[in-house]
Amino acid sequence: MNLKKYLVRALHRLQKGPGYTYKELLVWYCDNTNTHGPKRIIKEGPKKKLIWFFLTLLFASLVFWQWGILINTYLSYNVTSSLSIGFKTMKFPAVTVCNANPFKYSEVKHLLKELDRLLEAALERILQPTPGNGSENVSPPLNLQLWNQIPLVLIDEHNKDNPIILDIFETNQTAGGNETAANNETIMDKLCALCPQCSQQGSDNCTYRNFTSAAQAVTEWYILQSTSILSKVPLHERIRMGYQAEDMILACLYGAEPCNYKNFTQIYHPDHGNCYIFNWGMDEEALNSSNPGAEFGLKLILDISQQDYIPYLSSAAGARLMLHQQKSFPFLKDQGIYAMAGTETSIGVLVDELERMGYPYSDCTMNGSDVPVKNLYSQYNTSYSIQACLRSCFQNHMAEICGCGHYMFPLPEGVNYCNNEDNPGWAYCYSSLRSSIKQRQICIDSCKETCNDTQYKMTISMADWPSEASEDWIFHILSYERDMSTNVTLDRNGIIKLNIYFQEYNYRTISESAATTIVWLLSSLGGQFGFWMGGSVLCLIEFGEIIIDSLWITIINTISWCKGLKQRRARARYPDAPPTVSELVEAHTNLGFQHEAVGALPRDGALPPEPGTPPPNYDSLRVQPLDILGPDSDAE
Amino acid sequence: AATAPGKKITARLKRTLPVRGPQAPTLSELMRWYCLNTNTHGCRRIVVSRGRLRRLLWILLTLSAVGLILWQCAELLMNYYSASVSVTVQFQKLPFPAVTICNINPYKYSAMKEYLSELDKETKKALETFYGFSEGKSKVRRSVDEWNSTGGDFFQQIPLLKVEDFSRTATDLHSGQKRKIEGSVFHKDSSIVNSGDSNDIIGFQLCDANNSSECALYTFSSGVNAIQEWYKLHYMNIMAQIPLETKEKLSYSADDLLLTCFFDGLSCDKRHFTRFHHPLHGNCYTFNSGENGTILSTSTGGSEYGLQVVLYIDEADYNPFLVTSTGAKIIVHDQNEYPFIEDIGTEIETAAATSIGMHFTRSRKLSKPYSDCTETGADIPVENLYNKSYSLQICLHSCFQKAMVDSCGCAQYAQPLPAGAEYCNYKKNPNWMYCYYRLHEKFVKEQLGCQQICKDACSFKEWALTTSIAQWPSTVSEDWMLRVLSWDKGQKLNKKLNKTDLANLMVFYKDLNERFISENPANTLVILLSNFGGQLGLWMSCSVVCVIEIVEVFFIDSLSIVMRRQWQKAKKWWHNRKQAGSGKPPQASQVERQCHDNPICIDEDLPTFNTALRLPLPQDSPLPRTPPPNYSTLRLETAFTEQLPDTLELGQH
Repeated sequence: MNLKKYLVRALHRLQKGPGYTYKELLVWYCDNTNTHGPKRIIKEGPKKKLIWFFLTLLFASLVFWQWGILINTYLSYNVTSSLSIGFKTMKFPAVTVCNANPFKYSEVKHLLKELDRLLEAALERILQPTPGNGSENVSPPLNLQLWNQIPLVLIDEHNKDNPIILDIFETNQTAGGNETAANNETIMDKLCALCPQCSQQGSDNCTYRNFTSAAQAVTEWYILQSTSILSKVPLHERIRMGYQAEDMILACLYGAEPCNYKNFTQIYHPDHGNCYIFNWGMDEEALNSSNPGAEFGLKLILDISQQDYIPYLSSAAGARLMLHQQKSFPFLKDQGIYAMAGTETSIGVLVDELERMGYPYSDCTMNGSDVPVKNLYSQYNTSYSIQACLRSCFQNHMAEICGCGHYMFPLPEGVNYCNNEDNPGWAYCYSSLRSSIKQRQICIDSCKETCNDTQYKMTISMADWPSEASEDWIFHILSYERDMSTNVTLDRNGIIKLNIYFQEYNYRTISESAATTIVWLLSSLGGQFGFWMGGSVLCLIEFGEIIIDSLWITIINTISWCKGLKQRRARARYPDAPPTVSELVEAHTNLGFQHEAVGALPRDGALPPEPGTPPPNYDSLRVQPLDILGPDSDAE
Repeated sequence: AATAPGKKITARLKRTLPVRGPQAPTLSELMRWYCLNTNTHGCRRIVVSRGRLRRLLWILLTLSAVGLILWQCAELLMNYYSASVSVTVQFQKLPFPAVTICNINPYKYSAMKEYLSELDKETKKALETFYGFSEGKSKVRRSVDEWNSTGGDFFQQIPLLKVEDFSRTATDLHSGQKRKIEGSVFHKDSSIVNSGDSNDIIGFQLCDANNSSECALYTFSSGVNAIQEWYKLHYMNIMAQIPLETKEKLSYSADDLLLTCFFDGLSCDKRHFTRFHHPLHGNCYTFNSGENGTILSTSTGGSEYGLQVVLYIDEADYNPFLVTSTGAKIIVHDQNEYPFIEDIGTEIETAAATSIGMHFTRSRKLSKPYSDCTETGADIPVENLYNKSYSLQICLHSCFQKAMVDSCGCAQYAQPLPAGAEYCNYKKNPNWMYCYYRLHEKFVKEQLGCQQICKDACSFKEWALTTSIAQWPSTVSEDWMLRVLSWDKGQKLNKKLNKTDLANLMVFYKDLNERFISENPANTLVILLSNFGGQLGLWMSCSVVCVIEIVEVFFIDSLSIVMRRQWQKAKKWWHNRKQAGSGKPPQASQVERQCHDNPICIDEDLPTFNTALRLPLPQDSPLPRTPPPNYSTLRLETAFTEQLPDTLELGQH
């Protein structure tokens, strides 16, 4: 029974809420809420009441509409960018220096001898179409095996429907219209050199790769052949055949401190052979540069020894260099620049950084771990980059489709480099894969850019170096230092001076920050609510309270209705659940209760004489309790 | 205070009965009512504060809060049209830009011989008389004789003069006689760097053909500039008379210029290039111009996948006076843009491989009211003479050309023709050069208004170029390379190519990252309102409701009270006059006056029984008070009793 008592007490306590009917509750709420509109509804005359009612409704809906917009804005995760430019002590970029030519010709000559002879003979045939000028009897028989794998042909397209294909080493002319149909779109009026590639020897599945220029055709053909030959050579041998650091880097000065070739990290780059990276930051701390200007930068003197170039492989001569971030792999074909022999090239550097916020603000990757492509360049211990991802993606596809890896890219596990003996159809496979738009799109879609994008903006200027007056002694000293001999082993065609330094403003950083934070959202929500209705979170809580109260009323009503039903059956005297007297008392209490909100008035110590209690006006309350409640209570 | 309870009753009635119109009968009461009942904080403090100092303080505080709100909101409004910048990087397949390639020399010199022989002869003669320079004595001798016989057409038109600045006399190059210079002297390039040595100044004089006293002398500190400028003037005159078809034939064909072409690992040829005739650079060829509807795109960065061309620059066929450098000019631009080669082209060296790495940036600005830029150029009152999308450069050139046609009657050669105009030449417009120089001077000094009319475009694409040069062909590959390229060039070219006639060019994307810099509105209406709300709420806990209240109370209610006052006064005056007329004693008691203000009294609506019951007892009656009901609930609600003093105060008022 104790429990019942307790429950009853609790019920009574709860019933001390603002009212016993919905109307009472609503009026109480309107009068006491802190939002601005509802109070007006009950305080004004009937016409204004209506106006205020609609105004309040309008404002409430405005508030909700604007809240919707604000929340949508927040969820779109916009960013604002801030830009800062200036000079600060920064890590000097890693500088990769390569020779445009991958191997010393003197070292690889024995491997490429056959190929070169073949090409020379072919050039002879091309340039002098009438054979029989006595060149055959001098040279030993050519190794036509290489040739037959990927022959060079000439296509005479004077007759567009039936082009004549001339194999350079054979006299017979094949009229093969159906064969060329594969990708022969070029219709030229003159002879053009083509390089056909067959997927299988002797099979009909051939495509001709057209070139409008013999020079290009010959170069491409030579690259394909030499790639195949050199891929069989083991890596350490290839490194040996390339340019050595002590031969290439003749002088080095960083700031005021001397450096030499030992400060460079060697890396084998498939395109350029041995490359040397200064300040890569792999083993030791990266160097900082705290001063702008050429005096405080890196000064290099290189020798590219142009005489030792492979004649057919690369026609441009110079050093290839690239500035990149520490611990990133240098992709020289993409970002590299040339430095010309016989010149001094000055490169002023501005570090252009873009720092972005990751998901959900933008779709970028912090370290590449969430990219579904296996990064093959991680074997160099380098960080993720979009170029690495694209190349890895290509190599993975190549290994999957052609069964071997391309010579230019690192190998996935358990795959070998392609060569003509083991994979006779690789060139065809590679060409079709390379020109496939679909494959590229797959790679573009699966790779993500990095969030921190750093670019080195270079201001390049050139001057002739060494000057004619200083030429002699400079060559002499440099030759002496390299070879310990008094003979001059250098010349203008091989020597390059490089100055790499920070500009006066060495950084331009664009960093992103969230345009809409949760604080922004809250203050905007508050601003909207405050602007239209003068409301705050407490008002929402008030509203929630009222809803709970109205629920209680519903419950009480239901209970009383049920009780009433029971009692009617039992012919009880009082149909209403709470006793009348108590209800009145409560009502009176509520009248007082209302004043609590209004009663925040300052009070001085001495109260004026207390007025008499009004005469018991319970009757009036009963007659018309609600209409007069507002104004009356306001007065008292 | 001991007045009749009747006053109390009406005062009570005022409050209890439904009120139409203003909440209070008088202005001061209205203010009081407003302050007590308003939703804004502060006002209430003023009313309920006790003590003058405190009240003053609250008044000051409230006023300063209002001031702050107004200030901050004005600030918010003024900053409404500000933009925030966002930079996005997108990695994607990029459209390859159009690459326009021109030979620096516009026309084959050998083909131009018949048009330019006269001019060249005179130029050589000028060089000889001025500087004692001659190439091949015998040739010059002959030409001197010829020239003397013909009389020197070009020198008569625009004489080259050697100027002695201080004496303001000039030596005519042709006749050798000294003469006084009339008109003003314009130093074409010495205005920037004053050469000081005035003896060596050379220039030419341009006179108004209609009014020979108006002459302008253009001087140059160096004869190189003077001769070139002078030559160019005549050259443009001659070229303006040659029809376009002939000029296209005189210039280089695609086969002449392009030796090999390679794009994205595939061979390309002249059909991938579109011819574009540039008035100063002759035939230029645009790769990927998008003319046939397709724009090539790159899906791999790197030098192998871009455009690689070998250009044939026939150095032997160069015009010796018009251009003094050798090579090609290229410009990377959007397909819709006009290539302003002469303004922003990049020069390509011969016997070298020029590798140009591109980085693509797209920018978009917000147009009005955020900034003064134009989206399409349609709102600029300058007709676009170029058949390309709007750019500032196009606008300036078009504006100048229009001014030229308007004031000189003919069009300048370097810019396209407006409808119905033709290029200037001195057969038809003998006056044009003087006019042109005058106009150009005005243009440079921004007196033509072109710089004010033309706005920059809101969106633009930019390809940042990193140019580097390598030796090409390398010494070991030179031999075979030149042989094969000669073969490529075809049978019609018998001589072996020289490496200084060739230029290798590579244009490629360094990476496929597209940087997009865009401006976004920093504020939307929603945010502005939020900020307003924040300000109003912070300083005064005010909202739109308060604003409505203020409007209601201060404008509608106060006005109606004032009006009613006036109405009552008028009524009273009328009544008094009537009374004075009838002789009745005036009975305007206090109660009645009160009644006039009270709408209830005017209605003459008597209190009902119920309402009368609800009236309070006279508060200051000597009757003993009823003790407060002893209900427990009442005791709890202490606030109820504390409420009373205000009521009392109101009553005593």
